[in-house]
Amino acid sequence: MHNAPKPKPEDLPTRAQLRRSTLIACIGAVAIGVMVYMPAELGRDPTGVGTFLGLTEMGLIKQQLAEEAEADALLHGGDDQSSLMNDILGLFVSQAHAQEAWQDEITFTLAPGASTEIKATMEEGATLFYAWSAEGGRINFDLHAHAGDRNVTYEKGRGQTSGEGSFVTPFAGDHGWFWRNRDSAAATVTLRLRGDYSAIVRAD
Amino acid sequence: MKTLTGGARRMPLRLALAACASVILMAGAALAHDVTPGDAGYIQEIWGVHIIPFIYLGAKHMITGYDHILFLLGVVFFLYRMKDVAIYVSLFALGHSVTMLLGVWFGWGINAYIIDAIIGLSVVYKALDNLGAFQKWLGFQPDTKAATLIFGLFHGTGLASKILEYQISEDGLLANLLAFNVGVEVGQLLALFVILIVMGYWRRSPDFLRQATYANLIMVALGVLLTWQQVAGYLGSV
Repeated sequence: MHNAPKPKPEDLPTRAQLRRSTLIACIGAVAIGVMVYMPAELGRDPTGVGTFLGLTEMGLIKQQLAEEAEADALLHGGDDQSSLMNDILGLFVSQAHAQEAWQDEITFTLAPGASTEIKATMEEGATLFYAWSAEGGRINFDLHAHAGDRNVTYEKGRGQTSGEGSFVTPFAGDHGWFWRNRDSAAATVTLRLRGDYSAIVRAD
Repeated sequence: MKTLTGGARRMPLRLALAACASVILMAGAALAHDVTPGDAGYIQEIWGVHIIPFIYLGAKHMITGYDHILFLLGVVFFLYRMKDVAIYVSLFALGHSVTMLLGVWFGWGINAYIIDAIIGLSVVYKALDNLGAFQKWLGFQPDTKAATLIFGLFHGTGLASKILEYQISEDGLLANLLAFNVGVEVGQLLALFVILIVMGYWRRSPDFLRQATYANLIMVALGVLLTWQQVAGYLGSV
């Protein structure tokens, strides 16, 4: 019937052995739940073991991302509201004196875990040239745009200290960077821009 | 979006279609900076060597990967001597480690639906093997150790395709990958510990062999279901 013979009873683990193993498994499951799962998924670490293992950071990042995803869904529930919200949140960054050919230079500092958004308001088919560098820490970024039902991701990066390039907009709207510092020290980013844009919008 | 398609692969067809529809709707709603939540989101925000977090992620991947667990259950179903369990589980671990590491390192872009369909078939194979079907149909017993190793290679290729979707940073990739692999084995041992306890109680039951037939028939059905979901997913994706 099967590809294996019936096991002899004396070869099987005894009931006492099985009970002991079950007890160990239950204790292990509770220990893993509290000391590993809770920090790594929820960012909560009642015992301190998760932080020692470096798992609490993972849980906190996951919680933060989940909140951001939820906030995004709410923010972009109505399409027109999103640009309105950006206008309300956004504040114009004063034009710095032009260095060489750059039109604007923006400097900002992000503490570990902090994030900000800097975007240029542009028409369709416009070009933006940019160069940036980070000091004190490495930076994660997402160069993107969204307007109405359109969205585009130009470039994403993590742990970078500099970047340069250009892009041409496929649609009108605010095009630019979401910056986040996932490094252990504060990072100061200097961003230089040149191109066809009417305003710089910043939202924290 | 990558994680959403990854998750959708494990869903039944109708759910997957609903998920696809919601993805299209969500694309319309325009995510601010394309937030990827969960494990993939975490991995995409970090770089450098993170040994213990990757061990955790590897273990979590194994324990929540029911296709791997189902195959493991099939492999140890009739093994009750610890020496046999150790040999077979090591062969499975060797198989999936080799292709997992090579697959990620060389970036094998194998279609995840196809590889997951083969993993579903591995469950069908092992359950039929347990039922003695091959002895009956072929007149001989195909080498069970070789089958475990070979299917292990396929399971590893499946793991590699999932890890590639995580987009682990190049910075620290090898150390993190090895840590993930260690985690997969830790997760496998934790699952095995529980499986062996349950099987230990069950084997002592006088009805074990009769119930074992039904259990393996159910396992065949589950394997067919897993395979069918992947085939349907593949047909829906092309």
